[in-house]
Amino acid sequence: MIEQYTITTTPKYNFPQPTIDTTLPQRFLEQSLHSLKQVQHQPFQLNQQSFQQFHISEQHPSNLRLKRQPIDLKPNHQETTIAAVDTSTIKIGETSTGIIIAIRGATTWKQNRNYRYTRLGPFIFHITEENKNEVYNTLERAYFNTYYPSNRHATPHLMQMPTRLASLLERWLQTMLAKTVSHGLILFDGSLTSGTFDTPVQRMKDILSLARRNRSTVLAFSKMTSLRVNGYLITDQLPNHEPPYLLETTGLRFKPPTVVLGGVYVARLNKANYAFRLDIDREIPLQHRMAAVEKLLGNDLYLQGYPETLRLAHILCTFTANEVLAMKHFITRKHGIQIINRPDMHKLLFGPFGKGEIS
Amino acid sequence: MKLYKKEGNILQILSFPNENAEKGDYLLIEDPDANKALIAQVIDVQFASIPGVLEELLRTLPDGGEPIQGEDIDPLEIAPHITYIQDASLLVCKTRATLENVTLSPSSNWLPSRSQSTIKKLSIPMLLKLANVEGTRPIIVGSTKDSSLLTIDATAVDGTLNIITGKKGCGKSHLSKLLMSSLIGYKATVVIFDLNGEYTSIGMTSDGKRNMHYDKIHALTPSCNFKVALDQLHLNVVMGILIHALHLPGTSSREFRRLWKNLKEKGRLTLRELGEAIRNLNCNQQVRDALSSRYHALVNSGFFTDNPTESTLLDECLLKSKDQGGAIVINLRNTSTIDRQIVVEYVLGKLVDSLQSWKLKAVFLFAEEAHLYLRETYWNDIVTRMRHFGIFTTFITNQPDTIRENIYRQADNIFLFNFTNEHDLDVVSRAARVDAETIRSIARDLPPHHCLTLGKVVRDFPIVTRVRALDIKTMGETRLFFKKINQRFSASAYSAERNV
Repeated sequence: MIEQYTITTTPKYNFPQPTIDTTLPQRFLEQSLHSLKQVQHQPFQLNQQSFQQFHISEQHPSNLRLKRQPIDLKPNHQETTIAAVDTSTIKIGETSTGIIIAIRGATTWKQNRNYRYTRLGPFIFHITEENKNEVYNTLERAYFNTYYPSNRHATPHLMQMPTRLASLLERWLQTMLAKTVSHGLILFDGSLTSGTFDTPVQRMKDILSLARRNRSTVLAFSKMTSLRVNGYLITDQLPNHEPPYLLETTGLRFKPPTVVLGGVYVARLNKANYAFRLDIDREIPLQHRMAAVEKLLGNDLYLQGYPETLRLAHILCTFTANEVLAMKHFITRKHGIQIINRPDMHKLLFGPFGKGEIS
Repeated sequence: MKLYKKEGNILQILSFPNENAEKGDYLLIEDPDANKALIAQVIDVQFASIPGVLEELLRTLPDGGEPIQGEDIDPLEIAPHITYIQDASLLVCKTRATLENVTLSPSSNWLPSRSQSTIKKLSIPMLLKLANVEGTRPIIVGSTKDSSLLTIDATAVDGTLNIITGKKGCGKSHLSKLLMSSLIGYKATVVIFDLNGEYTSIGMTSDGKRNMHYDKIHALTPSCNFKVALDQLHLNVVMGILIHALHLPGTSSREFRRLWKNLKEKGRLTLRELGEAIRNLNCNQQVRDALSSRYHALVNSGFFTDNPTESTLLDECLLKSKDQGGAIVINLRNTSTIDRQIVVEYVLGKLVDSLQSWKLKAVFLFAEEAHLYLRETYWNDIVTRMRHFGIFTTFITNQPDTIRENIYRQADNIFLFNFTNEHDLDVVSRAARVDAETIRSIARDLPPHHCLTLGKVVRDFPIVTRVRALDIKTMGETRLFFKKINQRFSASAYSAERNV
């Protein structure tokens, strides 16, 4: 018998790529195609107010304090891999039985001074009241072999499905990064708040623990926050101090089951007058948290005080109008779905005063 | 393709990448309900304004101009659809005619249905058939983009004023040779003012053999095989030369006329006798000096002779070509500016004489860079007066601004080659037979040897043609300094190689 050598292809990047579990994208594709088949040769109404949906709003915790003493940061230029993840979803149109949505995720990373990305999707789904549970649960099962008790209440409303599915893809991408990046920094879009319908506590804990196991630190940047101290947003209470610095918060508690798994800070990373809520994995010692932010400062670019890697992830997953047109073209051509122009009732009733539904 | 907009006679049509319409193409916009169709020509191709394209392009260039490297996992294969939408183009078209019951009318005063109209490409042969361009005396100009031939009718250049223009080296002379040889083939008389001596060999094939027109080509080189005896000249022709080419003042002209008549009466009209008569003329010193200087200019031109055997009779050449057709090539290559003007004045005067006396029916005159030898007043003369005598001119130039605006306005046919200079395009766009946008847009992008044919010959349907090759010995090539050096170098390299 001739012994055959294992031939592996040359890796495209230096980015570490251990065995990647591709179950979720496969299920996404299957569910996407399956759901579109159900709507074949039906008319559909284009979304009259296309909007991209992102993240959930925060609850208002009590006892939140913001330390006035800034923590000074010094950029650390030690070569560190920075990776980021973001997802986006958009409603493309409506059918008589449901909605047609698209989801896409992107991971970006900076290594050896170069930015690289992987984009996953778009996945197009036809979600109806009938198939929403099947679609969601199939994807959940594909994602988690473990059972998360908080999920038992998680039957989403039809209109919540776009964000719920996007969230599922985002968590999967975050898991992939946590598994593959070692000694690096992983940037999430949003916060480390968990215990919500789409982010069970254990799911987030697992992701953070995976990252820690690979000696990586998770930093979550929120573009918008509703956390307030003394009635003012925490990101608006910036001291007269030379950036970069962090302001530490204390006493942040939510009503169960919502839990914050990170230490919450206000980060002003450069002279631009913008600050962001920054959550850093709470299980990491304080000293290491600061070291992680300093490495981020020394390795990434900043526009308006926001890390470029995360900005790119956001930009790359966002759907442009051109892509929406292309997806409509795809739906029409590949699945024979007829586009119908149902009158916009807002415009019809209120003329120029009909601005459409507020998204 | 979908009809998007109509403003005046400009149509905007949305086209997708697989429908590849290009500048110069003709489209047929058929409205089944109206039972009519518009014929429109694409004059510009633009990107369709697709929302989100800017964002799409911007996000590929975030890193200081270097495209960001990455991988797209696109399981549903949406990317081709994105490219399809992104590459959609907007065809800016000019309406040329309306087709109703197989009849063309130039009007475009109706609006085809945006939703019901079907748009398809109209092939050039079909267009030519509809426009009834081909006639009984076809001249094959070349091939169009859809590989069909553009055939014009020789009668469409009969009695017309034509302009062949384009920038240097794009094939103007080649086209004029093609027209010329085709006209000779139909037994027409052609006279060429050949500035660079490149038409003298149109009777020869590229390998130096005689072609079918060899015997019909009469190459006349002034002061070599083209000389004139004074007694062959009509006084009007001589006066034309003296006044217009040599700028002889009025008083001296009168004196010269008297002298000429006197010598003619005595039968002593020779150069020698004329010089003697001027020397012995009893008149004002300044008048004598003026006449003397003009006399020496005539003598020095070498164009005039007292030897009857040396003199060539232009009339004879014209008569020869009258029945079987032929070309009289006036080779002005090594002729000075003044001598050139003398020769041209002579030839034009002689042509008018011959046409007025019906010795000739009509002549096709090809004038290359006419501003170099044609006096100012002749431009209008040629275009208006001489046309009625039967001189049908084709101007060939690479400097369109040397031809007056009124000539463009009266031009019946324009063969336009590539121009990139805005000023040149502006000048040509004054032509009455086509709109400025068509000229500006199409001519700028014409490849070498392609011309935009405008006017009567194509029934006002501008058509882009690649001018066909001719098996004629090339004489108009630019002499190059490095060509010989390169040849020598390659020859020596070859011999060195052989020695090794």
